[in-house]
Amino acid sequence: MTTVREPFVRRLRTALLGTDRTALLFLGNFEVEQRWGGDELGLPKVALSAGDALVNRMDEFTLLLAGPDDYVLLKDAPDPGHLAYLESLGVGLPHLLITDQQDPHHTVTQDALLSPGLLARLTALTGSVAIFPHGVSADEEQLAERTGLTLAGSPAATCKAVNGKIYSRKIATELGLRQSTGWTCESIAELDAAVEQARGLLEAGRTVVLKDSYGVSGKGLLVVRDVARLEQIHRKLRRRADRSGDQRLALLVEEWVAKTTDLNYQFTVGRDGSVQFDFVKEAVTENGVHKGHRMPAGLDQRQLATVTETAGALGRRLAADGYHGVVGVDAMVDPEGGIYPVVEINARNNMSTYQVGLQERYVPAGWCALARQYPLHLARPLRFAEVRDALGPWLLSAAGDAGMVVQNFSTVNALVRAGDGPADGRLYGFLIAPTTDELMAMDGEIADRLAAAAEGARP
Amino acid sequence: MTMASEATVDRAAVVDHVIGAVIAVLNRDDVEVTEGTRLMDELGLDSTNVLELLMHLEDQLDAVIDSDTLEQHHFATVGTLADYVLEQGLA
Repeated sequence: MTTVREPFVRRLRTALLGTDRTALLFLGNFEVEQRWGGDELGLPKVALSAGDALVNRMDEFTLLLAGPDDYVLLKDAPDPGHLAYLESLGVGLPHLLITDQQDPHHTVTQDALLSPGLLARLTALTGSVAIFPHGVSADEEQLAERTGLTLAGSPAATCKAVNGKIYSRKIATELGLRQSTGWTCESIAELDAAVEQARGLLEAGRTVVLKDSYGVSGKGLLVVRDVARLEQIHRKLRRRADRSGDQRLALLVEEWVAKTTDLNYQFTVGRDGSVQFDFVKEAVTENGVHKGHRMPAGLDQRQLATVTETAGALGRRLAADGYHGVVGVDAMVDPEGGIYPVVEINARNNMSTYQVGLQERYVPAGWCALARQYPLHLARPLRFAEVRDALGPWLLSAAGDAGMVVQNFSTVNALVRAGDGPADGRLYGFLIAPTTDELMAMDGEIADRLAAAAEGARP
Repeated sequence: MTMASEATVDRAAVVDHVIGAVIAVLNRDDVEVTEGTRLMDELGLDSTNVLELLMHLEDQLDAVIDSDTLEQHHFATVGTLADYVLEQGLA
């Protein structure tokens, strides 16, 4: 494994395509797990689609990862004020392509497949551009087929296979990596056995978690603290199987272990099987749901060595299973400082992937950064100009300064535009400061100013 | 007692059950939850805790909820979830 530093996007092109001369078409199809896991039987599903419209506008994260020669495909044009702001920072913006139409509940790829004008423009790029999605599902394969463009990455079937949490657990076991006590359940019979084991953990005062193999990080899980709840979910899953006659499952039962810190690290597996370690960051979560990242992660040498060695071992194992592309791994630090080096493998881009371009351009050596989301309750769409005015000097104005870059603005208005009443939006910001204390003070000030701006967008 | 007043009494009891389940999931005592409280917009209920909410509700009602029959609009407010419980004959 090598650790040579050159711009991430150039390394990415070389790793995926064998040359850095082919431009990439970035496609932000977030929560691709929904496509991979569509036919899998995990925990009982409840049809909640309200948040889809926001997740689908996370496509705009690609804007700050792509290079100036690359292409970015979006569901809708970015706020002109946001683009002008990014240009004022010296960002060499990529070529922008917009779908002919957009349905808030479609991913960018699904909208693209329904856009004849766009498909014709993409077809004209054949030979000089390769599609680089957030993660490869059947939809992205179809887009490649319809346009004749190369797909940079592994086939959807391979991506799906290596993204299941069952796969993570099995290869961690095979490689002898430390993980919490747990069991994979690919059938009701395996669930029955796992429930018996988990009962023992609960009776010993421990906590247990059931996880969908294809759940999005922090979602599709059920924390169980007593035997009655375990038996209740066991009955529910058995009843579903009895009714349908389908005994398959794609579920994990694990001990919910104590941790002090969530980590996220990334490596890239090249077409030639080479593995390059990209970074490790501290994940900021609230109630198990991802809220952002702090960097640097603040690990000691021993902890860092565990992470990088694990990355190398996992990368070689994934390459052996035919995968090449970006891999993000969630990990944890326990209260004694020990590392659980693999909680789950996400063989796709991760939120932290989209921060790399900002780190390279705007974080001076020795400084620190925080990527996070700010919730905004809005009665009407907010313009970027209003946010710029509200933030004042806290908005980054030049490389080398302290301040926040607005990383994704379309997620601010996604829900209020999609619905017919007040709705919650998210502003994704990337904060840069010389010290952690200054970073945290900046975070508090920005949260207050954004809340005031949102208040102004209410009746 | 007429049928209409019985239905009224039942509904109020179901609303109380839903409120009890919501508070159990949130694990917070600093929120006021009423029939009109919007579950997602006001309380932040989402796909990460909706299954837990249904299981708490099953405890309260001593009934089994088939999650396949639930749709987005049932989760609009405490009241709409209570209506779903009554429609399904779970109370």
